[in-house]
Amino acid sequence: MNTMNRRNFLKLTTAATAAVASFGAGTAFAKDAAHIVVIGGGVGGATFAKYMKMYSPETKVTIVEKNKEYQRPYGSSEVVVGRLDMKDITISYDALKNKHGVNFVFDTVTGVDYDTREVKTAGGTTLKYDRLLVSPGVSFDYSQIPGMDSPEAQSKILHGWDSGDQLLTLQKQLQAVPVDGTVVVIPPPNPYRCPPGPYERSGLIAQWFINRGDKNAKVIILDPKNGFTVDVTMLQAWNRLYGFNLPESFKGYTAEERATFKKFDNPGKIQWIPAAEGGRVIKIDADNKTVECEAGVFKADMINLIPPLKAGKIALDMGLADKSGWCPVDQKTFESTIQPNVHVIGDSCIAGQMPKSGYAANSQAKVAALQIKALLAGQEPIEPAFQNTCYALAGQDDYGMFVADFFRLKDGKITRDEYARYLPFNASDAQYRLSAVYLRAWMNSFTNDIFA
Amino acid sequence: MNYSLTGILGAALGLAFLSQTAAAETANNLAQSPRSAMLAQTCAGCHGTQGHLQNNAFMPLAGMPTTQFMNAMKSFADGSRPSTVMGPLAQAFSADEIKAMAAYFAQFPKNEAQ
Repeated sequence: MNTMNRRNFLKLTTAATAAVASFGAGTAFAKDAAHIVVIGGGVGGATFAKYMKMYSPETKVTIVEKNKEYQRPYGSSEVVVGRLDMKDITISYDALKNKHGVNFVFDTVTGVDYDTREVKTAGGTTLKYDRLLVSPGVSFDYSQIPGMDSPEAQSKILHGWDSGDQLLTLQKQLQAVPVDGTVVVIPPPNPYRCPPGPYERSGLIAQWFINRGDKNAKVIILDPKNGFTVDVTMLQAWNRLYGFNLPESFKGYTAEERATFKKFDNPGKIQWIPAAEGGRVIKIDADNKTVECEAGVFKADMINLIPPLKAGKIALDMGLADKSGWCPVDQKTFESTIQPNVHVIGDSCIAGQMPKSGYAANSQAKVAALQIKALLAGQEPIEPAFQNTCYALAGQDDYGMFVADFFRLKDGKITRDEYARYLPFNASDAQYRLSAVYLRAWMNSFTNDIFA
Repeated sequence: MNYSLTGILGAALGLAFLSQTAAAETANNLAQSPRSAMLAQTCAGCHGTQGHLQNNAFMPLAGMPTTQFMNAMKSFADGSRPSTVMGPLAQAFSADEIKAMAAYFAQFPKNEAQ
């Protein structure tokens, strides 16, 4: 037995003792069954729990989650424009419980003791863990936006970026926009959850105006960035569908590609003002719904501000984030580089070139499950492999697009394989429509991969 | 003569049997290696857990014969099969990786509910 194996053997012995101490005699689990506690029942936590039980049925997995049902944030902008109800985005945890044998504690985590490896909840439950997996999504940081740093302002100007009632309130705000009205959408700076999302939502709102027969209502996007994931596919679609004029400063196309764009005399249903053209927001007046940005002052009938994002609050409270506001992790195992035996996955973690998306969280969860299985058995983690596929709509519900990426570990960093990742330039309407068909199918198969 | 012919035949049959067993064992090992599971998990977000699928827009991968899987990936990657998402994605994998994923999905029964 070499040193490494011996050390792992000792580590495992300790882990086994801890498991016995936590469950005692008379439990249904073998006395050496490891216990993994998962904080957060979103895409990352739920996928991890299902796959951990699938890869290692003898391991006990407990999810601590405050909500008894899940509301999916992916695709939830369709609630804002009334295409979906909240029930359409609500998903039961029953299959995870009854079919996959995942335990649930519906409660809020109030404390963690890293030395004794215990998680405590508001309801008084104490859970002992061998490994802890934290997947708490995102939190919102208004501190850098003058005018938004009060609960009053934040109750009027909503993000709708974490599902919940904000989606329905945004829906009501949209319905109250007068004919010929203006909606201002303010995407966050990088990195943030769901990179194509703010642009998809803008397109959905523009289409909603068309559907109500509103010729002059428009969406203005005030952006702190000069580009976004799927931009070359999205902007081409908007040029075809919404009288969208391509900003002069946009660098995503060749001169030949740019020459194929139609030019419109009047601003179309969507205007995008990137940072290079003054899109950076300076101040927001929530009462009067005005936004001051470098390009000037915009009066809106509705503002949808997605502020800068940080790791989920529980990850911040647990001391798992660094100065960036996100959680540094080992790029092979997702074990925190701040706390041993604690893994962070999904939006909260720093994962090289991977985006903060549902698919990324889902892929990281499966990697973490395979690696934790190896670690619990005293084996070396293996070479990880990741994928991300995000689908988005241009606005019309049959006009879709995607980004598809494969990631590997290169020189210790999670790195995107270099190849085409979008629909080809000048994709036909039929290719956009086929992508929308895949979007709908993906919504089902992805949700099933996590929760069914 | 007869005796030795039988002997040779017997030995040849034995060898054939052994190499078949060895091939089956190799395929089995490949299907069950964590590396195969690692590569194949990346497909599940669209193609279902272990390739089990309940819609018909994507190809169900569970129980797909290995040659069918490998040929499909090759034709996506070289563009001979038209696609939207799969063309770019298929280019990400080496021949060995495609073989590993093919073995992984082939081990599961078709049409099994998730």
